[in-house]
Amino acid sequence: MGFDRELLKGSIALLLLRLLSERDMYGYEIIQESMRRSQDAFEFKEGTLYPALHQLHKRGYIRSEWRTGENGKQRKYYGLTAAGKKAARRSEQEWFSFTKVVNAILSKANT
Amino acid sequence: MTHSDRIVSRVISLARLPGSKRGREVAKELRAHLDDLAEEARSQGYDEEGAARIVRMRFGEPEEIAAAFASVYAPERWATRILQSAILLASSTLAVMVVVGTVQSIAAVFSSGSIVSTLRALHQESFGFAAITAGYCSLYAGERLFPASLAKAVLPSVALGLCLAALFVCLIPQQAVLPLAAFACAACARLLQRRAISFLWFAGTALPLLIAWVLFGRLIPCWQFPCLVWIGLTISCKALQEIVRLFERVFMLPAH
Repeated sequence: MGFDRELLKGSIALLLLRLLSERDMYGYEIIQESMRRSQDAFEFKEGTLYPALHQLHKRGYIRSEWRTGENGKQRKYYGLTAAGKKAARRSEQEWFSFTKVVNAILSKANT
Repeated sequence: MTHSDRIVSRVISLARLPGSKRGREVAKELRAHLDDLAEEARSQGYDEEGAARIVRMRFGEPEEIAAAFASVYAPERWATRILQSAILLASSTLAVMVVVGTVQSIAAVFSSGSIVSTLRALHQESFGFAAITAGYCSLYAGERLFPASLAKAVLPSVALGLCLAALFVCLIPQQAVLPLAAFACAACARLLQRRAISFLWFAGTALPLLIAWVLFGRLIPCWQFPCLVWIGLTISCKALQEIVRLFERVFMLPAH
């Protein structure tokens, strides 16, 4: 299922913060994980993930480090900072409040 | 060059990331992702061509990714540009001062004058030093801003020249012509250094001086002085050319 690009753009920071709050991940792993959880419904151009990660890094929400995997490949892992953990909680609360309000409006409109 | 290399190269060249180190790091990160994507496609049975198609489809357009990176790093890019421009201007002005000071000191020795008093009098020519640097660097800035159009590249020099003319006429109305001629000389020298007949660039430093002489009469008391000014200007423009080359080698992101 394709989602509106603007909708995806607005929610990508929240999704990244949520995924990285669970464990450190590298870009390709983040894509795989989001596709797995959304059962391949959540599709976006993978290259656009990196500017979003760099934006969060600049804001101080995530940290990064190069690590060498078992296969000898070097990958840049991202993880949340303390400020990022707070931002993740705040963003989630905002999202739930927002969707609750939108759902309330939509359900009234449908009745 | 592989398909992945071409995508990375396109992103990096368009993203205008501040600093070559950041560019290399982003390139390494994107290449690792593209390698993973290609590997996944090959493991699903695609041949090289098919894998390249999958990679292109899933990764997205390099232009779009580069635009997103450019937006993320816009504040740093501007800060870096301002700092680099300040370094270029400061080192250029210093080089002009050293060249003109040296030429005038040598002239003082041959004319039995005092080197100390010559060097002390240099501060009176600060408008001239600033004008030479401004003339040369404004044309260089124009070339960077409008690489495809010479007419447009000259515009910043013309605009700055007019502003300086107004400023010098207000501040030093009696001596405004000489620094303005120096500005024009330096801009002309840069212009000729970039053209096909670049070996004639030193003529660029003479022509505006001659025009100023014709229009405004003898600006300077004796015939030796204009020659001295021309020699100082010509060597200064050569020094500025080398500084600009060094600046480009140090600060400009190499092509991937």
